[in-house]
Amino acid sequence: MNFNHQIIIVGGGPAGLNAAKYAANAGADVALIDSGVRLGGQYWRHTGDEALDQSLHHNFDQGSLLIDAVKANPRITLYLESQIWSASVIDDSIVLRTSKDIFITKKLVIATGAYDRSLPFPGWDIPGVMTAGAAQALLKGSGVIAGKKIVIGGTGPFLLPVAAGMSSHGGNIVGVIEAAGKAAWGKGFGALLKNPAKALEGAGYLNTLRKRKVEMRFRQAIVQAHANADGVLEAVTIANIDAGFKIKSSYRLSCDVAAISWGFTPDNSLAGALSVKQRVNCDGAVVIDVDSNQRATHPNPAIEIFAAGESTGIGGSDLALAEGAIAGLAAAHSRHKANQLRKLRSKAQKFADTLFKVYPIADGWKSWITPSTTICRCEEVKYQALTQARETLAAETPRDAKLFTRCGMGLCQGRVCARIVSDLFDGDADERIRSNYRPIIAPITLGELAEEGLL
Amino acid sequence: MIAFTFNGEEVPAKEGQSVSAALIAHELRINRHTRINNEPRGIYCGIGICFDCLVTIDGVVNQRGCLTVVRSGMIVESAK
Amino acid sequence: MSNNSDAIVIGAGIIGVSTALALTRAGLKVLVIDRGSIASGTTSAGEGNILVSDKEPSAELTLALRSRDGWFELADEIGGGFELEAKGGVVVARTDGGVNGLRRLTADQRSAGVIAQDVGGAELRTLEPHLSHAVLSGAFYPQDAQCQPMLATAKMAQVIRTRGGRFISGATVTAILSTAGRVRGIETSQGSFNAPIVINAGGTWAGEIAAMAGSYLPIAPRRGFILVSAPTPQLIFHKVYDADYVANVASGEAALATSAVVEGTQSGNILIGASRERVGFDREIDFKVLRILARQAIELFPILSTISLLRAYRGFRPYAPDHLPIIGQDPLIEGLWHNAGHEGAGIGLAPASAELIVDGIMERTSFMDHSTFSPARFTVESKS
Repeated sequence: MNFNHQIIIVGGGPAGLNAAKYAANAGADVALIDSGVRLGGQYWRHTGDEALDQSLHHNFDQGSLLIDAVKANPRITLYLESQIWSASVIDDSIVLRTSKDIFITKKLVIATGAYDRSLPFPGWDIPGVMTAGAAQALLKGSGVIAGKKIVIGGTGPFLLPVAAGMSSHGGNIVGVIEAAGKAAWGKGFGALLKNPAKALEGAGYLNTLRKRKVEMRFRQAIVQAHANADGVLEAVTIANIDAGFKIKSSYRLSCDVAAISWGFTPDNSLAGALSVKQRVNCDGAVVIDVDSNQRATHPNPAIEIFAAGESTGIGGSDLALAEGAIAGLAAAHSRHKANQLRKLRSKAQKFADTLFKVYPIADGWKSWITPSTTICRCEEVKYQALTQARETLAAETPRDAKLFTRCGMGLCQGRVCARIVSDLFDGDADERIRSNYRPIIAPITLGELAEEGLL
Repeated sequence: MIAFTFNGEEVPAKEGQSVSAALIAHELRINRHTRINNEPRGIYCGIGICFDCLVTIDGVVNQRGCLTVVRSGMIVESAK
Repeated sequence: MSNNSDAIVIGAGIIGVSTALALTRAGLKVLVIDRGSIASGTTSAGEGNILVSDKEPSAELTLALRSRDGWFELADEIGGGFELEAKGGVVVARTDGGVNGLRRLTADQRSAGVIAQDVGGAELRTLEPHLSHAVLSGAFYPQDAQCQPMLATAKMAQVIRTRGGRFISGATVTAILSTAGRVRGIETSQGSFNAPIVINAGGTWAGEIAAMAGSYLPIAPRRGFILVSAPTPQLIFHKVYDADYVANVASGEAALATSAVVEGTQSGNILIGASRERVGFDREIDFKVLRILARQAIELFPILSTISLLRAYRGFRPYAPDHLPIIGQDPLIEGLWHNAGHEGAGIGLAPASAELIVDGIMERTSFMDHSTFSPARFTVESKS
């Protein structure tokens, strides 16, 4: 079926939800499209069982209130379980396709969020090694603890809610391995102090961990994973690292799950498919370039595209909420100056920028890789294939590396490995942005493609 | 409580859980072996980005277990 | 490093690199220039087809037959590593008219030296078990082959380097230098280079290169899309295409021409084509065309309707108005050679095209009379 709406918002997480609410309250006819079965995105992923959800979330009320408001708003039409696979501009309108429907609008808000950034290391493809986001999704979405002996690693404030969440629901967390130094980590808390709500939240997690005797270790990283005879994770090698992430010494820790977070990276396939202008952010992520009204740049003046949330730069839920509200108002051509919202956005942006400084990711992770380390998980391309492409086939650029080895050609179309290969081959900004060009945004069967409606 | 099968084995699940979550809760950590090197894989990103959690569901291949909600009587098999 | 070479090749795609490799065999010191990196133009969009099946008896078929053998000789020479496979081609017909036309074609092709077996419905299905029942009969071409064009180009480039050849990437040609009707070198964004022989292997942009020398090659882009499926356990065993493909290749229509082309690959993905249209260099993905390609593929192989599409990409085939390649010395400038305009057959025709160029440069007798491919056929309209 074809659906025309005044404003279409893609992504039902904090940014998209708030954009929908503000746009609708400003009088616009709004569609909110999400690929999931429920609203909430990743941040407010929930099971639908209210008691469980309350216990799993730090402040689920905020999320559930907003979700309820959006559901109740007569100007907002919800389209769930709708995965967009293509986006184009036809006759001055934006046309989005899912496998069943076609959505048409002249005003689009992109709020497609982010996913965990991965750093490869020997054994990272062993079952049991997963992103911290996966462990979080298992818990918040399905009420399942990922394993029996869980080590959490990586860097950043996300490690805490993941650890505390699993711990307080019966998970056995055998260690929280933070790459940042304790002093720097304390500096981060200084930023938190300027942000009392965040400080309280953080303190709450730490308290939980302390009560359950979960140990936090600093200036360490998981650099190798080991499988047992059945092929599943049985232990990791944890290294004491320097500020450059180089290994100084190491030890083994037995576990059946290693949940790792190295920050996030936006999934801007929708923006790329529409040729929306992107740039490389200070953390190396490719983000949508927006102005102070969250307006993105597109060559066609007849359409308006906005972006909010992680897709404009990783910054957490407060920033996403503020950006979403401003984007919604701007898309609805509201005359509301939104000064409060802009102040909130500014404050949240500063907090996010501080986090990048406090939890940097240094290049030394490249020294963890061995020739047999998998780089492209989908196509099982090992690092030695890339070095061979460099040495015997004179691959100079990430593009060469990808084309000579099949890195990035599998089902995930480079979402996991493209940034890794760009880093290993020192890709420039243009190359990184081009890596995000996926005109087929999500897989669609040939049968669905063949049947698709008139556009 | 509902149930489905994984490679013929009965797996219990709760309403609303994803296939991957139910498998993990039942300590089934390997959902497929890779097509080139036959290496075991389990859930990795958990949110539908990485395609490592692939299973075949009721005969349909390449389904992401982390995105699919369990239904009673589902026939789930390792992805090939 | 000296700015002098025996020969400069403009374009590091399959044609340019094949030509450079053939020149190194003749003992020449070559320099290959490209404004991008290796195979960054149409070559990287190629499926890797090495076909004899899609050509009627003609000079081009003679070239294709020789070139097909050239590919296998090349694999021996440089040690393979580019997924070269004598996969075989299966051409199918779904109407009586199509069947008759195909029978006539295979008979003609056989007399020109192509191994072409007429295959009835039942036998077709032993070759391709998943073929639709709507397919009546077909032909099998065991000589049809495929390679991975990126790897092939890169491997050839590496051999060229071991033989003293050089590559400069990121160098845009700004001028072709000649004196008294004799070429002497080129100017690029990375400096000037001298050579008594310059070969224009600029692919879809070879006309622009020719113009720099005051020459005229009417090469234009003919856009094509390819669908790439998710990797699947093998369903398709050959390159399979509809008999109407041959007519489309030869057609001069600007409007969209599509015909079903389906093939499995070593990596497990299924590639689906083929579309041809003259839309300049429009890089946008046209989903209407993708839909037609999907429909046509499913008509041939109904099982494909459940297979996932992973990505789609487009390439710009370089073609001349008469749909023949342009191979030979420039009629006005001695030492300037053109090896271009191979349309959708560049990969397949690369080795033999290179051979013709080197034969010409070394003033040796070629394996064929290639006056049909001469660039001179355009110079009555050349700009002064």
